[in-house]
Amino acid sequence: MDRGGIDHAGVGRAWIDGRPATLDAAAAEAGRLLADSRLPVIAGLGTDVAGARAAIALAERLGGAVDHMHAGQLLRDLDIVREARVMLTTPNEARVRADTVLLVGPDLSVAWPDLAPRLLDAPMGHEVVDGARHVFALCPGRSPVKRARETIEAIGRNAGELPDVLAALRARLAGRPVGKLSVSAKRLDALATALQAARFGVVVWSSASLDALSIEMLCGLVADLNARTRFSGLPLAPADNAAGVLQVCGWMTGFPMRTGFGRGSSEHDPWRFDAVRMVESGEADCALWISAYRSAPPPWTRKLPTIVLGAVDVDASNASHVHIAVGRPSIDHDAVEYLAATGTLAAIVASKKNDSLSVADAIGRIAAHLRPDDRPC
Amino acid sequence: MLTCIQSGRVIDPANRRDEVGDVWMHDGRIVDAPQGAKADQTFDATGKIVMAGAIDIHSHIAGANENMGRLMRPEMHHPGHEAAPVPFPFSDAVSSTFATGCRYAEMGFTFVVEPAVAPRQALQAHLELADIPIIDKATLAVLGNDDFLLDLMRKRESPDAVRNYVAWTLATSRSLGIKVVNPGGAAAFKANARAFGLDDIVPFYGVSSRAIVKALQRAVHELGVPHPLHVHCNNLGLAGNVDTALATIAAAEGLPLHLAHLQFYGYGREGECGFSSAGARLAEAVNGAKSVTVDVGQVMFGDTVTISSDVLRQFNARQQARPRKWAIIEGDGNGGGIVPYRYRADDFYNAVQWAVGLELFLLIDDPWRVFFTTDHPNGAPFTAYPDIFALLMSHELRAQWISSLPAAAMEVTTLASIRREYTFNEIATMTRAAPAKLFGLSDRGHLGAGAVADIAVYENDNDRAKMFRSAALVFKGGDLVVRDGNITQYRFGRALTVRPGQDRAIERRLADYYDARYGLRHDFMKVPDNALGRPDPFELVPCAD
Ligand SMILES: [Zn+2]
Repeated sequence: MDRGGIDHAGVGRAWIDGRPATLDAAAAEAGRLLADSRLPVIAGLGTDVAGARAAIALAERLGGAVDHMHAGQLLRDLDIVREARVMLTTPNEARVRADTVLLVGPDLSVAWPDLAPRLLDAPMGHEVVDGARHVFALCPGRSPVKRARETIEAIGRNAGELPDVLAALRARLAGRPVGKLSVSAKRLDALATALQAARFGVVVWSSASLDALSIEMLCGLVADLNARTRFSGLPLAPADNAAGVLQVCGWMTGFPMRTGFGRGSSEHDPWRFDAVRMVESGEADCALWISAYRSAPPPWTRKLPTIVLGAVDVDASNASHVHIAVGRPSIDHDAVEYLAATGTLAAIVASKKNDSLSVADAIGRIAAHLRPDDRPC
Repeated sequence: MLTCIQSGRVIDPANRRDEVGDVWMHDGRIVDAPQGAKADQTFDATGKIVMAGAIDIHSHIAGANENMGRLMRPEMHHPGHEAAPVPFPFSDAVSSTFATGCRYAEMGFTFVVEPAVAPRQALQAHLELADIPIIDKATLAVLGNDDFLLDLMRKRESPDAVRNYVAWTLATSRSLGIKVVNPGGAAAFKANARAFGLDDIVPFYGVSSRAIVKALQRAVHELGVPHPLHVHCNNLGLAGNVDTALATIAAAEGLPLHLAHLQFYGYGREGECGFSSAGARLAEAVNGAKSVTVDVGQVMFGDTVTISSDVLRQFNARQQARPRKWAIIEGDGNGGGIVPYRYRADDFYNAVQWAVGLELFLLIDDPWRVFFTTDHPNGAPFTAYPDIFALLMSHELRAQWISSLPAAAMEVTTLASIRREYTFNEIATMTRAAPAKLFGLSDRGHLGAGAVADIAVYENDNDRAKMFRSAALVFKGGDLVVRDGNITQYRFGRALTVRPGQDRAIERRLADYYDARYGLRHDFMKVPDNALGRPDPFELVPCAD
């Protein structure tokens, strides 16, 4: 055990109203706040799979609601699945097979810093006959992705042009004429031809910087291209294990986050169970904010009884009534989380293992102060 | 604690028992009636039917594809379960892990196999299974479209290499067996093929679908894995595909082979629509191939979601999505597709499908070789099982259904002419004794001394559907978990696995492969016990020597 590391991280410490407290006292106070609450919201949810399981079970038990700090972004991608048609692929599959990659929108290397080394510049699989990978960027903005050796051809510049450029590209792929654009018809047609010539093309985007309409157009474009060749989509997952928490929420409740349990059954409503709205409107009267990967503060302004399970020793005099420091998943303790490189849940051995508290541990201690319940957690 | 279930009709085909009598249990196991001892607890089963807990050998209840199905259809999670033990209303096709365990237990099922887990998704599948209460469960790992296997075959490597790879996959993904889904078809789809048959050749790799089946069948057999290779054949759902199924049955060549959801391959090309039942021909072939086992994949009418690792078939079926939305996942190896679908009683094709399934149940004469499935949720949600039991047990009930279905559809099947009715003994064989044998489980599927005390007690109601829908009593590992169709206790079962021996050299080779191809450590797909959040989450089933 690396005890020095614990002190450094401030893990294993707790505060009540800004004053240092024992873990037991903090857990008891958190339990009291939640038990007294009419409608608690469990938000942030930046945690590993075990933390998400515990948090959702706690929300069910309390009749509260769950939200994730990146739910808005995640739901933009999920909405297409729920309302339309999608073809998706995995980062691994794109790496070994994509001979054509279309990067869409700005800030993709923010969404996935390993995009170039893991995908664009990686060697293709032996089953791909001719090994050159063609990469295009649609409206990449001012900080485009760079490859180690080859250049990436940019079509369009500003993200604001993206919906128009996408619509025009889709029209050209269907052989329909397009009106005047910032991008020349010749370049657009050359891109359309290149996409149609792909053996396996992959469109990469991040819903952090795309609106719902653009994502839907992209998915339609991918579906169209499959009439003759093979194409698929690769949406990049948001940070803070949002994609992992989405999976847990899906299997435990049938729904994504922004799901409530207040009426005795689970209900999903992206507007009603948006944690910020619930807090600002006064509907939620207690918040459990979870941010184990980094110390992101709650995004609302209204004051309400708040319990924070936070990554590191953030300013203990802050507004939270109870603060329990927790370890960082996969750094301070072993964790299951969504792995961007594989697009799957994976069990990660901690890189600096210590005896810090996990979110699941912390919730277990808080739950021990609630009334007993026969439902399994 | 010594518990006795008294004076029920005990139906236990594995032990050739069918009589009114008692069943005793102690510390979670069934015991012989103790001499002179008095039970601490007794349950009166007079007039009731006592069977072992039921086993579902093929039901898609966990994993990334199933979860995509859940997330895709929020509109299906509607209220509608008055009998639910807790007020969590989920639809059955894509129910939550919690509801899945509850609904299965209420029907007297105590062990369910999720049959299609990509090795890379094994951790997620096991996490989901770990959140399914009450029942035991297991997974089958999907191989046969993965580059590593196909490349071994391309290079004409020895059967030893394939065997070691299969053993490593079973151990790493914590599975109970191996399934192949449209062998080679998903790999061919990657090279833009839109159809793929048993003797078609996978581009680049130069191997046929048949060769993949044979290589995996042999490997599984030689490793002593109790469950034979589980095959989802090529050409699922297509008119005339009975030829594919017949050829695959012939390809078993006397070695064990399991064909999944055979109903979806029971189609001829007769009749005005060029679509007819070939159920009778297929049943005859199964009757003659003693090393072959099958499950049915019965269709029932209603709304569902089809969830399959057969990415090629799902891609081709996407236009039939009802409602019109779908997801095709181009994954490592197989990938998969999620396509919502509505089976309609007034639809000619759907009515033929319904009849083909029942023909297979009724014309395959050995209940030890035909298994009860709907390929949940592909043919129907598992909650439709009680209605299917009722159909199998009553010619009259079938006749009623037939009279309400399109006459043209009924003309291209033999169903109306079949008078057979399943007995309780045959139901118990098909859903208890035979599945335990199929997976090599000596302590499940029966009521003899030493068996795990998984027991279902039913009212002997003439309404068979009602009877099987909510068991009077269910015991899991000796714990009373259901009374009068309601959950009385939550507990968590375990996942059953096999771990045949393997040569360590394969480990090094896989490490090099994953590093070179993916830039990843080969153990990124491991499923450690401590990741699942349940004490003692696995149970090991021995392999043959
Ligand atoms: Zn299946």
